[in-house]
Amino acid sequence: MAGLWWPARPAAGALRAWAPRGPHRGKTAKVPRRPLPRTPWTTRGPPPGAPLPRSWQDKRPVQEQIPGLEQVTYAGKQYFVPWLARPRLPRWERGWHDPRHSPGPRYEAMPLYKERVCYVCHQRTKMLEGVRQALWLTKTKLMEGLPPKVLSIIDEPANQLENEDERVQNAISHARVWITTELIPKRESYCPVLLEDLLHLCRTMASKYPSLSKRMLARDYKVAAAWERESSILQVRGMNGILLNAINPLLPVASKDEILATENHILETFHPISPTIDLQEVNVYEERHDTGFREGYPYPHPHTLYFVESANVRPVRFRPEQLRAKMLMFAFGNALAKAKVLYGDDPKVLEHPVVVQSIGTEGRIFQFMVFQLNTTDLASSDGVKNLVWIDSDQYMYDYIRYLPGIRKKVVKFPPGIYGYRPDTFKKFLALYLHGAVQDSTQTQIL
Amino acid sequence: MAVSSLTRALGALLLSPAPSLPQIAQHPRLVCLGGNLLPACHGFSTSSNLSTNNPMWKCRIKYTTRPVGMKKTGGRDHTGRIAVHGIGGGHKQRYRMIDFQRLRYGPGSESGSYDEKVIQIRYDPCRSADIALVAGGKQKRWIIATENMQPGDILKTSRHIGRMAVSASEGDAYPLGALPVGTLINNLESHPGKGAQYIRAAGTCGVLLRKVNGTAIVQLPSKRHMQVLETCMATVGRVSNIDHNKRIIGKAGRNRWLGRRPHSGLWHRKGGWAGRKIKPLPPMKSYVSLPTAAARA
Repeated sequence: MAGLWWPARPAAGALRAWAPRGPHRGKTAKVPRRPLPRTPWTTRGPPPGAPLPRSWQDKRPVQEQIPGLEQVTYAGKQYFVPWLARPRLPRWERGWHDPRHSPGPRYEAMPLYKERVCYVCHQRTKMLEGVRQALWLTKTKLMEGLPPKVLSIIDEPANQLENEDERVQNAISHARVWITTELIPKRESYCPVLLEDLLHLCRTMASKYPSLSKRMLARDYKVAAAWERESSILQVRGMNGILLNAINPLLPVASKDEILATENHILETFHPISPTIDLQEVNVYEERHDTGFREGYPYPHPHTLYFVESANVRPVRFRPEQLRAKMLMFAFGNALAKAKVLYGDDPKVLEHPVVVQSIGTEGRIFQFMVFQLNTTDLASSDGVKNLVWIDSDQYMYDYIRYLPGIRKKVVKFPPGIYGYRPDTFKKFLALYLHGAVQDSTQTQIL
Repeated sequence: MAVSSLTRALGALLLSPAPSLPQIAQHPRLVCLGGNLLPACHGFSTSSNLSTNNPMWKCRIKYTTRPVGMKKTGGRDHTGRIAVHGIGGGHKQRYRMIDFQRLRYGPGSESGSYDEKVIQIRYDPCRSADIALVAGGKQKRWIIATENMQPGDILKTSRHIGRMAVSASEGDAYPLGALPVGTLINNLESHPGKGAQYIRAAGTCGVLLRKVNGTAIVQLPSKRHMQVLETCMATVGRVSNIDHNKRIIGKAGRNRWLGRRPHSGLWHRKGGWAGRKIKPLPPMKSYVSLPTAAARA
């Protein structure tokens, strides 16, 4: 038959298409060994005293069994020859300690090594249970919504900018649209720009309230705080966010009665999951308290922490729940460090609670938080607890349209901001004005 | 097949120091092989790498819940020749390290039973079943999900065998001696502490047939009977994704996406594929080494 689609059978003696080539050329496939016959030995094992068959014996290499039979290697010759075996040479020792080529001390040999494990929360810690876990770790009671003092600042008409909506929408358009010549900017670029623009708008109120100028922003500072919580040592360490420092501290937001009422509150546990899950366990640590600033810094009191969540890739970005947990942990860390510096290391209920605010955003959704540290006695779960007010998932706008929506050659949906909500910026501004507005009302009363 | 060799190689992975498992390396630090694992990144790393050139990607010692980049073999073995035909191409996959040893105690807590909470159930590209992220104590791990598992469920794992059989709910893990006869089980071990190697595919379940002085006999999905010690752990219920065998591939391209290359078109006369096959059940497989006659006497 002519025109076969498969190649014709090769000549006898020539290599078949599927035969092995190279060093295995000419070898035939080994016939697999038949299964062992069923005898009492193979099913039940050989009786204890009998000699084992060859294949079941322990086989040590012949060189190990007979002393004079080790392999002859070229180690004695000090150079390679192809017919002698390759020697197992001893590992070369430098003889002196070169810091650039040594593996470094083991954890057990480090001076700060401790047997007891410490759990560290840093800026990449994403807690599994989110805010509930952070509440247990910081011995805090949660209150929904912002405190009434802050809400009253929003309601006052004097605390608004001129053309507030227009200026905020300009800021949003700057961050989301005008910042780049490409069509759609990445979150890494627009998120910090949006925060900077909003802060700039807030700072323009300094003409009305002069005490606003007694504040300073700080970036890239490291905070350190350590505390013990029901037989686990916890620490908050590292760079967190942008901190707004002030000359005068924030006055306590909750009254004494509310603080004493927290004694009856029971912290929520989540049974099969331990509260220290997702925290980094370290054995080499040092318990210290550091606000991040030296003594004599002109703006000693922390006012507000701003968190920018601008990772481009969704798996790396913090979800809103995890962002709120991170905000709570770092607000607590800053407050605790400041309290230890002001009032000493002993765990006690504070006479003048420390208040730290916190705002977190990922470019569109804002989380507002006011944290009040009432006590540094955190070892037991009873007693006075700290307080936190959280306003979560505040949308500043719904979405941005980059390209116009054209239906039948008519522009039906122009490009721009859709779903703008003015309340979010009002809350942002209220948290910014929190310490300053009280000063002016008090001076007015005086 | 690749996954089974993979799980054998990862048999010594250390979620926490388990006394009965052999350890591959005594080095306590993470094996970081070469600089080609992480791409050049400034500051924080992005999500973990999609694939890797590293042939030692299976030899990771420390357990992680983050997916690990895989290197596809294409059916080739270490000599470079095709060992298994029909494998190659397909969508890139990342391996999620599954913990098949359900009874794993954390360091220092050797109590009888413990609870775990299901966080998330998701699709796994490396197997037909779905996997579940469970958290208990201070650790999180991936396990094979059972049929009716939902996020928020509490699963119990225990190694205690009582006189009365436990009324087990789905997803819990008990030794075979503690379960009532007739329960549907999955993720079965052949030896205690070895890790589950049987009944792991989507929708499968084995049946606990009888318990005979210290051993238990289980019927596998292939109807074969298997005899194991009663201290071997098994999970109760059917494996998730029960409609897996009812799916229709639909087109050749979907098989290519799954990494299956086309069959050879050559007709093998003695292939033995055609015709109905009626065979008796193979004998019961026993993983219990009984004492010899001389010792018993």
